[in-house]
Amino acid sequence: MDPEAARTARESLDLAFHMSNILDTGLDRHTLSLLIALSDVGLNPEALAALVKELRKEPPRITTTPSAP
Amino acid sequence: MEEEPNNNKVFDLIRELVVRLLSNSSPTQSIDSERALKYAMRILSSRMTPSISIDEASMVESIKRNLVNEGKSSDALNFADLYNKFSSKSGPGSVKNKWGLMYMLKVISEDRKKDKKSDSRVSSGFFASTVNGGLPALFDDLNENSRKTLDNGKSSSRFGGGGGVLLISKDSENFRDLAFREFGNLLKEESEVLEGVLVRDVLYTCQGIDGKYVKFDKNLDGYAVGDSVKVPRATKVMVRKLCELGWLFRKVKGYVSECMDRFPAEDVGTVGQAFCAALQDELSEHYKLLAVLEAQSMNPIPMVSEATSTGNYLSLRRLLVWFAEPMVLMRLMAVLVDSCKVLRGGAMAGAIHNHAQHGDPLVQEFMRRLLRRVCSPLFEMVRSWVLEGELDDIFAEFFVLGQPVKAESLWREGYRLHGGMLPSFISQSLAQRILRTGKSINFLRVCCEDQGWADAALEAAAAVGTTTRRGGLGYGETDALEALVIEAAKRIDKHLMDVMYKRYKFKEHCLTIKRYLLLGQGDFVQYLMDIVGPDLSEPANTISSFKLAGLLESAIRSSNAQYDDPDMLDRLRVKMMPHGSGDRGWDVFSLEYDARVPLNTVFTESVMAQYLRIFNFLWKLRRVEHTLIGAWKTMKPNRITSHFLTKQEGAVKQQFVSTLRRCQVLWVEMNHFVSNLQYYIMFEVLEVSWAHFVDEMEAAKDLDDLLAAHDKYLDSIVEKSLLGERSHSLFKTLFVLFDLILQFRSHADRLYEGIHELQARTVDHSKSSRGRTKSRLKSNNESSEVGTWVSGGRKALTQRAGEFLRDTRKDLEVVAKEYSSSLEGFISQLPLQQHVDLKFLLFRLDFTEFYSRTRLKK
Repeated sequence: MDPEAARTARESLDLAFHMSNILDTGLDRHTLSLLIALSDVGLNPEALAALVKELRKEPPRITTTPSAP
Repeated sequence: MEEEPNNNKVFDLIRELVVRLLSNSSPTQSIDSERALKYAMRILSSRMTPSISIDEASMVESIKRNLVNEGKSSDALNFADLYNKFSSKSGPGSVKNKWGLMYMLKVISEDRKKDKKSDSRVSSGFFASTVNGGLPALFDDLNENSRKTLDNGKSSSRFGGGGGVLLISKDSENFRDLAFREFGNLLKEESEVLEGVLVRDVLYTCQGIDGKYVKFDKNLDGYAVGDSVKVPRATKVMVRKLCELGWLFRKVKGYVSECMDRFPAEDVGTVGQAFCAALQDELSEHYKLLAVLEAQSMNPIPMVSEATSTGNYLSLRRLLVWFAEPMVLMRLMAVLVDSCKVLRGGAMAGAIHNHAQHGDPLVQEFMRRLLRRVCSPLFEMVRSWVLEGELDDIFAEFFVLGQPVKAESLWREGYRLHGGMLPSFISQSLAQRILRTGKSINFLRVCCEDQGWADAALEAAAAVGTTTRRGGLGYGETDALEALVIEAAKRIDKHLMDVMYKRYKFKEHCLTIKRYLLLGQGDFVQYLMDIVGPDLSEPANTISSFKLAGLLESAIRSSNAQYDDPDMLDRLRVKMMPHGSGDRGWDVFSLEYDARVPLNTVFTESVMAQYLRIFNFLWKLRRVEHTLIGAWKTMKPNRITSHFLTKQEGAVKQQFVSTLRRCQVLWVEMNHFVSNLQYYIMFEVLEVSWAHFVDEMEAAKDLDDLLAAHDKYLDSIVEKSLLGERSHSLFKTLFVLFDLILQFRSHADRLYEGIHELQARTVDHSKSSRGRTKSRLKSNNESSEVGTWVSGGRKALTQRAGEFLRDTRKDLEVVAKEYSSSLEGFISQLPLQQHVDLKFLLFRLDFTEFYSRTRLKK
């Protein structure tokens, strides 16, 4: 990967991260870069979004489970 | 996409992502990471096909809008700025799937927002399950989140979102999870078609095309989801409901194309064509709507989570709302098509108009638009008919029908209203007026060879403000139409009446007819009677009508009639009616008036037949009167009669005087009757009717009025002169009376002839007693017939006179008896007549109440 491409990639990621923050997605930089990579290999963005959502939903379950047993 | 070759790399990425996400939220859950990874793979390998059209700009636009809506316009600006930079990046290293990224960001941000909201609203997770996810996520899926198939992720999401239900334990959770997944799988594999696909199918069917799942079912006579496709009952019902539009469309479309196909071969009619064209236009509106809807369904803003508002997303439910209006219109069109299938022309317009009486403004507007189109040919026909008299109606759609007839019956029979083709928005009276106006123009053109009507029509059109060009009128402007028709009718009728009166001298002709056919010209009638009388006494078959024509000519020339318009006198003819063997000239002679075009519209054959009847009656009356007057000439008391037999002995003289007296009395009685009848006919019937007729003629505004006035005139004459149906028996009695009077005349003539002869003999006899030889010579010379009288001498003569007088007296008595009984019958029948004027006749005849008293005595 030549430096030019790397720079473009970084800038793109920066911009994307900014946008992500404006939209208040709550994604960190690394996660975002993973998502971009996945989306670029052709995975469905909808599925990715669903995945993010579902995995994030875990916390309530965890916070509530301890009180159960 | 799940069969990517470099799966390994992708898998690594995913694993990292999962770990990252999980560690982010709860680091303690690392045990679950393996399971979560599997779960992630499932989600990613699910059939979430990105069927949405990929449009980056609109996506960004939507994001910005959302930000602005939330009141973060500065963020929106920032975002736009960032995006501009971001999108300008290209080449190696840049993000390739920019749209995907945008989309993902948007969805994630919305999901988060949603989560936050529900969290802030419901503090306790337990309640959250009931409030937030009260409905099981599965059903959320079916109804709202139409694009997304049900998958395992969903079932899991239910666990997450509606956590309250799943508080129990981890062991049992596995079972539930499993069972739920199983159930979800079941649904997904077997019973669910994407709602989006259904929507697309519905949109197809609404254009009359079979969809993938929704097809036309001949048995059902409608579109339905195929039996093999398993979808919930509710969806099925909804699809059927939506597809009603498709069914209706099919019907309308079918009608239109059928009409178009039929057109050149069969006569669809201009109104039918207009109807089809209007329907076609409405259908293209329908197409437009469908195109819009289809674009919307292809370009949705899809939401992943089931609870998010679905935006512009086109679901079946949404379609139901979208279709509400087109459905009403399409249903209306289908109804119209149904009711108009067999109709044509005016009837079709009328049928459509009947549907226009609707309270819904939408329907009203639609119907007005449609009717304007449909009625335009009809109104065009009215216009050209009223202003130009043209009946350009090749398909027989107009409510005026024309028939090829001779010029004389053009007015009465040439055109008529066709009730079936009269649309209900044109009233009967207006239709009549329309009919008459066009008829007048045609009458002027054909019968009167007049061109002036064109100016009148132009003037009328100018007065109303409508151009005489095509397409000046339309449906809904019935008032304008009426105004036009009224104006045109007024002017054209006026013109027609002018032509009738001035150019064709209608009134003068009527007067001439009255004078000659109704014997109003006394001196002429008298003269005619005098000169044709002898000829008419001959048997009918020996009379030459040429001779009579000559006599008529001389009667005209020697009476005041000679000063009349020669053109009119030319039209007066002698007519010999068909006669039987025993008829005399009197029975067959009649006068006739030759009314040429256009007057024969008024004086038609049937009218002339009426005139002929009246003439015959009047002629007979005149003849009887004439006869009585002739009798009076011989009966006048004179010296001869008064001195006759003065020297005779009592008995014969007595007989003679009483016979004469009887004769005189009878004559007076008859004369009284005839002259009063004559007076009544002349003054109470003819003149009065004529005066009414003249008044009405003056008031007549159109030819129909004139015809009606003339008919009334004639009817009143017929009715009052006892010629009508109701007075048939009375009329017969009258003729018996006339015959008796004629008989009386011949008896009286014989009586006086006899008297004169006897007188002559007596004188002869007394002379001969003075100079016998001379008288014998003379009597021999005079007649051999009465020779016996002379030879019988004075005594024989007296005896002969007595016998003669007795016979005559007997004959007279017979006549008198019959006469008085007939007259009594006549007078007693007279009050039974309906007509009020006949009372006057009775009054005249029985002025001294002589007859009523004699009747009372009996």
